[in-house]
Amino acid sequence: MNLDYAFRRLLQMAPLLLGISVLGFSMMHLAPGGPTALYTLNPNVTAEDIERIKEAWGLNDPLHVQYLRWAGNMISGDFGNSFRGGAEVRDLIVERVPATLQLMGTAYLVAVVLGFVIGALGAFRQYSVFDYLATTGALVTLSIPTFWFGLMVIFVFSERLGWIPSGGTQTLGSGGGGLLDRLHHLVAPASVLGLVLTAQWSRYFRTSLLETKNQEYVRTAHAKGLAEPTVLRRHILRNAVLPVIALAGVQLPAVFSGALVAESIFGWAGMGRLFLDALTYRDYPILMAMLMITAFLVVFGNMLADIALGLADPRIGARS
Amino acid sequence: MAHSPDPRYAALLDGLLGGRIDRRSAMKRASALGLGAAALSGLPVVMGMAERVAAQEGGGELIVGASQEAVNFNPLLYANTGPETLPEVLMFDSLMKITPEGEYVANLATEVPTRENGGVSEDGLTWTFKLRDDVKWHDGEPFTARDVQFTWETVMNPDVAVRSRTGHDKVASVETPDSSTVVMTLTEPFAPFQALWTSGVTGIIPAHILEDVDVNTAPFNTQSPIGTGPFRFVEHVGGDHLTVERNPDYHGGAPGLQQVIVKLVPEIPVLFTQFRTGEVDVVDYQGLQPDRVEEALGLEDRVVVSKGSNFVEFIYFNNTLPQFQDKRVKQAIYHATDRQTVVDTIYYGLQNPTLTYLPPTHWAYNPDVKQYPYDLDAARTLLDEAGFVPGADGVRERDGVRLAFRMSTSAGNQARESAQLVLQQAYNEIGVEMSIDNRPASTLWTEDVPAGNYDTLMVAWDNAIQSDPDPTSRLHSTMIPFEGGGGANYVAFKNEEADRLMEEGVRETDQEARAEIYRQLQAILAEELPWAPLFNNVDNFGHKATVQGYRSNPYLATNFDNAAELSITE
Repeated sequence: MNLDYAFRRLLQMAPLLLGISVLGFSMMHLAPGGPTALYTLNPNVTAEDIERIKEAWGLNDPLHVQYLRWAGNMISGDFGNSFRGGAEVRDLIVERVPATLQLMGTAYLVAVVLGFVIGALGAFRQYSVFDYLATTGALVTLSIPTFWFGLMVIFVFSERLGWIPSGGTQTLGSGGGGLLDRLHHLVAPASVLGLVLTAQWSRYFRTSLLETKNQEYVRTAHAKGLAEPTVLRRHILRNAVLPVIALAGVQLPAVFSGALVAESIFGWAGMGRLFLDALTYRDYPILMAMLMITAFLVVFGNMLADIALGLADPRIGARS
Repeated sequence: MAHSPDPRYAALLDGLLGGRIDRRSAMKRASALGLGAAALSGLPVVMGMAERVAAQEGGGELIVGASQEAVNFNPLLYANTGPETLPEVLMFDSLMKITPEGEYVANLATEVPTRENGGVSEDGLTWTFKLRDDVKWHDGEPFTARDVQFTWETVMNPDVAVRSRTGHDKVASVETPDSSTVVMTLTEPFAPFQALWTSGVTGIIPAHILEDVDVNTAPFNTQSPIGTGPFRFVEHVGGDHLTVERNPDYHGGAPGLQQVIVKLVPEIPVLFTQFRTGEVDVVDYQGLQPDRVEEALGLEDRVVVSKGSNFVEFIYFNNTLPQFQDKRVKQAIYHATDRQTVVDTIYYGLQNPTLTYLPPTHWAYNPDVKQYPYDLDAARTLLDEAGFVPGADGVRERDGVRLAFRMSTSAGNQARESAQLVLQQAYNEIGVEMSIDNRPASTLWTEDVPAGNYDTLMVAWDNAIQSDPDPTSRLHSTMIPFEGGGGANYVAFKNEEADRLMEEGVRETDQEARAEIYRQLQAILAEELPWAPLFNNVDNFGHKATVQGYRSNPYLATNFDNAAELSITE
C-alpha cells in the first residue's frame, strides 16, 4: 500500500480536527446552562458561591483564553481535569475502555457474522420464505426503540425467568467478578445491541451481494464455466465486500464511543455512560476529550476504510 | 429469589441458598427434576447469591442501589447533594450529627456546645468545640483540632471550588488552643451554626493530606478519600460501583457490616427490578418511584420506609408583578389550588400536606396558621372584594391589570405538568388565566429565575442549612438577586416584620425561643403568601427484611448516617 497516501491523509486530518475543536468548544460553552447548573438546585449555594466556583475553574475567562488554554494542554497530551472532583480526564476515559470494547466488540462481532450469514442467505435465496422472514425481522428490530427492547429483555429474562442479571458488568461483592460472571452479565446488553446491528448489517450485506450477483462480469464468469464456489469467492464476495468495508470504517468510532441507551438500561460502565453523565453535568473537559477522540476516529476510520478498499479493489489504489 | 418459574426449582433454590445443597448436587437434582436447560442456565446467578449469603454470615455485605453516581468524595466539594451525601456519611464525620428526631448530638466533638455547658459565650459570638482525642484517620494519623481549622480554611480558600460558604463566612477566626479544642469566633450571632457543623453540610477533611496540594484536583477527591468515618474507601469503578469496608477502629464502635457496595443502576425502572430480584439490598437516595410504592409494599421480605424530606413543593409568586400586589389575589389562587386532588391523583397520595415552608414534622413547624382549603366560592368572593371583575373574555381585571400569569417549571417533569393542568382548570373557573410556560431546567433555574424572568413557578426547595429553619436567604428583603441581593429570595418578598423576625431568629440560640420566632414568621407568610406551599415531599425507600437498623432521617438526603449501626441477619 502507498505509505505516502496514508501520510497525506493523516496530514489532512490536522486542520479538520482543529476546526472541529473550535466549533465544539464554542458550541459547548455558548449553550445555555453550564457546569454550575447543578448547584442552583441547592439553596445552600448562593449566587456568590457560583461566581466563586466559576472563577476557581477558570470559567469566567474570555472564551478564546479558555480555548487556548485547553488546546495548549491538549497538544501536550493533557486532557484536563473533570469538574467533578478534579480527576484526570485521561484516567476517566482509560478506565472505561475495557468495558466499552467488550460490549461493542461482542456486539459488532455478532452483527458481522450473523449479518453476513443472514444477508448472504437472503441474497442467494431472494424472495424465499427465509428472505421474507429476515427482511421483516430486520425491519421490526430496527423499528423497536432500544430502551424498550432492553427493558423488555430485563423484564422477561431477569425479572420473570431469572436467567440473567438485570444489569452491571459483574456480580458485586464476594463471589462475583470471575470471567464467567462477567460473560453472564455481557449476554443481555451484547445481545440487544448485537441484534440491532445484525439487522442493519444483514441488510447491507444482502443489498451488496444482490447488486454484485447480477453484474455482467458475474454472468461472464458463469458463462466461462467457472465452478459456482469460485465465482462466489473470486467474483461476488470480493466485490460485494467493498461497500461493507466503507461502512465498517464509518462505524469504527462507535466501538470506542459506546452505546448511550443500552449502557444506561443495563448499567454498563462504558464510554456511553461517561459521555451521558458528562453531558448532564456539563463536564466540559470530558466532553471535549470524547469529542476529539471520536472525531479522530471518524477521520482515521475513513482512512483505514480507504486503505482497505485499495487493498480489496486495485482500481481504487491506482486512482490515488 | 421468589421469581422462579417452577415450584420445584424454587425448592431447589431454597436448598441452595440455605446451604443445605451444594452446587454439584443442585445441578444433578435440577436435571433429575427434568428442569432442563432453562432452569440450569439460571443457576449461575443463584450461585452468586448463595455465595453472597455465605459471605454475609462472616460480617455482612450490603449492596445499595443508586440511580445517580457519586464521583466526588470530598465532602466540601461535591455538587450532587443526595447521591454524593451517601459516601460522605459512610467515610467522613462532622463535629455533630442530627438525629431523625431533630436533635443535635456530638460526633467528632465530645459534646454539643450550648450556653449552659459554656460552649457558647453569652454574646453568642464564641463557640468552643471540645474534640474527641481517640479518633484516627483511615491512614492511621490522629485526628486533631488542626483538621477542623483546616476544614474551615479550605472552605474560605478562594482557590478552592467548595460548594458553599453559607455560615462559614460569618466566622472571623478559628483557633486551636490545644490539639483537642477548637474556638471559633463569629462576626455576628448565628444560631444555624450548630446545623452548619453536621454531616451532610460540613464534613471534616484531613489537613495532613490536603495541606499544600491543589484541593480542586487532589486524588483524594476521587481515588483515595481518607476520612474518620465508619467505613474506609476500597475502590470506585467509574460508572459501576463504590466499595467501602468496615473501619474496625471507628470511634463510635466497629460497624456491623463488613462491606457496603454502592451500585449504580442508572435506569430507575431497572433499579426497582433489582430491588425485586434481590440484586440490591437497599434502595436509598432517590428511593422508590411513587408509582411502584404500592407494588413494593406487596413484596415479600421487603420493607418500605417513608420519610418526609426537607423539601416542600411550592407555587412561587413573582411578587414584583402587578397581578400579585393585592394579597387577596394570591389568597384566592391558593383557595382554588386543589392540593388534595394533586397529591391523590398524581402523587399516589404519597405526599404530606404542609401549611408552611417547613415539613410538618419539623421542630419549628406552626400548625396554627391561616388555612386556605379548596373552595372556589371563597376564592371568587375574595376576588370580588378586591374589585377584580370578569372582562369580556371571562378573565378578571382591575384598572387594566388582568389576572393572567404564566406558570413555569422544568420541562419534562411529568408529575408537575399534570399538576399544572389540575390548577389551570380550577383557576379558569374563578376567572384567573394561567398559561403553562415550562422551560429546560438548565436555563430556567440558572438564568431565568435568578433574573426574575418568570411569573409563577412550581418548585420544590429546602432550607439553606438543611435542618435549620432559617429562611433568610429565601425571604429576607436584602436577598433578592434581581435587585442586587446575593441570596435566593426569588419571590422578591419584602416585609419589615418578617425581616426583623429572621434577623432575631439567627441571633437567638435557645431552640424553643427560636421555634416561637419561626412560628410567628410562618403566620405572617400564611397571611401575605409570598409563595403557596403545596405539600412536603415524601420519599420512599426500600430494603430487604434481613437488613437491620435501616431507618429514615428526614434531615438528610441519605438515611445512611447511622451506617455503623446497620447489620444483616439471616
